[in-house]
Amino acid sequence: MISGNPYVPQPAELIEVIDETPTIKTLVLKPATPMPFRAGQFVQLTLPGVGEAPFTPSSSPLEPNRIEVTILKTGAVTDRLHECKAGQTLGLRGPFGKGYPIEKLAGKDVLVVGGGVGLAPLRALILALLADLGKIKRMSIKYGARCTEELLFRKQHESWTKGAKVDMAVTIDRPQAGWSGHTGVVTTLLTGMDIDKSNAMVFVCGPTIMLRFVVVTLVGEQFRSDQIYLSMNRRMSCGMGLCGRCNIGPYYLCKDGPDMNYAKIENYPNVF
Amino acid sequence: MTAKHISNASLAGVFDRLRGTSVLGPISTEGLSWLHRVEAASAPSGSIVEALRRPRAAQSAKGSLLAASEPVGRYGRDAPAATATETAALVLLGVRACELRALGYLDKVMLGGDFDDPTYRARREATTLVACDCAECAETCFCTLVGGRPFATEGFDVNLTPLKEGWLVEAAGEKGAKLLEASQLADAAPAQLAERDKLRAEITERVRSQNAKYGFSADDGNQPQLPEGNDDGWGRFAADCVECGACTNICPTCHCFYLYDHTPSPETFERVRTWDSCLFGTYHRMAGGVNMKLSPRPNLLSRLANRVLHKFTYSPQQYGLLGCVGCGRCIDACLGAIDIRDVVQELSK
Repeated sequence: MISGNPYVPQPAELIEVIDETPTIKTLVLKPATPMPFRAGQFVQLTLPGVGEAPFTPSSSPLEPNRIEVTILKTGAVTDRLHECKAGQTLGLRGPFGKGYPIEKLAGKDVLVVGGGVGLAPLRALILALLADLGKIKRMSIKYGARCTEELLFRKQHESWTKGAKVDMAVTIDRPQAGWSGHTGVVTTLLTGMDIDKSNAMVFVCGPTIMLRFVVVTLVGEQFRSDQIYLSMNRRMSCGMGLCGRCNIGPYYLCKDGPDMNYAKIENYPNVF
Repeated sequence: MTAKHISNASLAGVFDRLRGTSVLGPISTEGLSWLHRVEAASAPSGSIVEALRRPRAAQSAKGSLLAASEPVGRYGRDAPAATATETAALVLLGVRACELRALGYLDKVMLGGDFDDPTYRARREATTLVACDCAECAETCFCTLVGGRPFATEGFDVNLTPLKEGWLVEAAGEKGAKLLEASQLADAAPAQLAERDKLRAEITERVRSQNAKYGFSADDGNQPQLPEGNDDGWGRFAADCVECGACTNICPTCHCFYLYDHTPSPETFERVRTWDSCLFGTYHRMAGGVNMKLSPRPNLLSRLANRVLHKFTYSPQQYGLLGCVGCGRCIDACLGAIDIRDVVQELSK
């Protein structure tokens, strides 16, 4: 059992606000006491008096004193979080959930598939794997956004792919002036990949509709469902498996996820 | 520990003496038995004794441990430092076997995982459970269909069995044993124990026979096979559901909640836990913009299915316990006349 009152957030100072895209900001937070987390675990970020929303930090788990949360402006709480200024005090609860099964990735081909702001939680995985690249066989990142302005962490992509073990492909939905790269939705990057499928694990994060079509494509490419992890960041509230809001069948995404092995949930309706 | 015997008058006297403390117990009102704060009620103790002989109370005792809406924590610059607050002792009087089973379920949910709900724990530890065998059952009682019996042999501090003359009193656990020891009641006679066993067999048979037409039998280790929430079979029942949430409110095991914050003073923020219902369209509401699916279960059919599946299929997988204890309150409360026994029977065929 974890002590203290798990409903009460600890204070966290907002030390920096980074404008990532026209709709996405990264809030850099310094929790009053360090909050060690595993890549893929999530926190509940409180805007005092307004409410809280669940986010998987986008920063490296090696820095528990400096937690970055990358936020798409998309609702009552996130609209207000976008108005926050450095120096403000916010609140953090957590970390919650299991986190990415990094221990299972030794010797594997790791395929990371992100859509839009979905690259944010995956960055914690990417940074964790980059910090210990010797363990995995290789990492292939596939990322799609609506347009060039919405490409997240664009300046960092190059630093991620410096080593021979890591490659990255980026696409935007439609052709755009000044863009000579790939166009089309992210699933168009997933066919005919040069990857050892039998030895691969796939991590997917993005909007629900993207998750759905990525799964269809991956299954069509002969990936097994137990090789696929989906970020199911649904309406998680308490984070502790008590409030009941985030279930898929017998699983609570806050406790058993938020990244769920697709084999566990594929037979339940309303997954997507 | 040896069973004891107490007369009607002496039991009423015990309740009189309890009036100085916090007691939640049944009081007969218009043919039903309702849970009241006994210390605040004007009803004479004799009517409490009488209510104990009636079927289970119309509402569950859940709200005394998990309040419908209550603060679960404060934060902010001016928030008072967290201190262990004294939780008032509470006696839950006349608790039935189904309710005890529900409390066992809530304990597993609220206290059995990595995180404790501190408010629930404090209340639970401050509660004395005085259980009571069912002498009568409601038409909607169906504990025997879900592996229960209308009397308890464990999970209480003290248990009462209504006899023709007076009451049999038994204890379970240390706290109950101490209470009973202090009572200086006379030991029960062997004939009174035999009467208890006979009455228990009779009431069990009554509950069984009133549910004989339902062709299913479940328990914690054996669940009816229900289809998932994409099966059209749920449609017939969803058509009758008006999404009022009465079933989830009155259910002794339903515990889903919503957290929200408010601001009692400029730099003090309070987090409130309030009952919610998985049948409400807003329940799973997520953040999102245009063209995004805002609820994973936009259809009532899948929400109704999710509730029943949580009781009968998911809870056994999550906690090793059925989420339904057969109290039948949801059947009494349903505005759409949905009988959960019909739902399970029809869909598990």
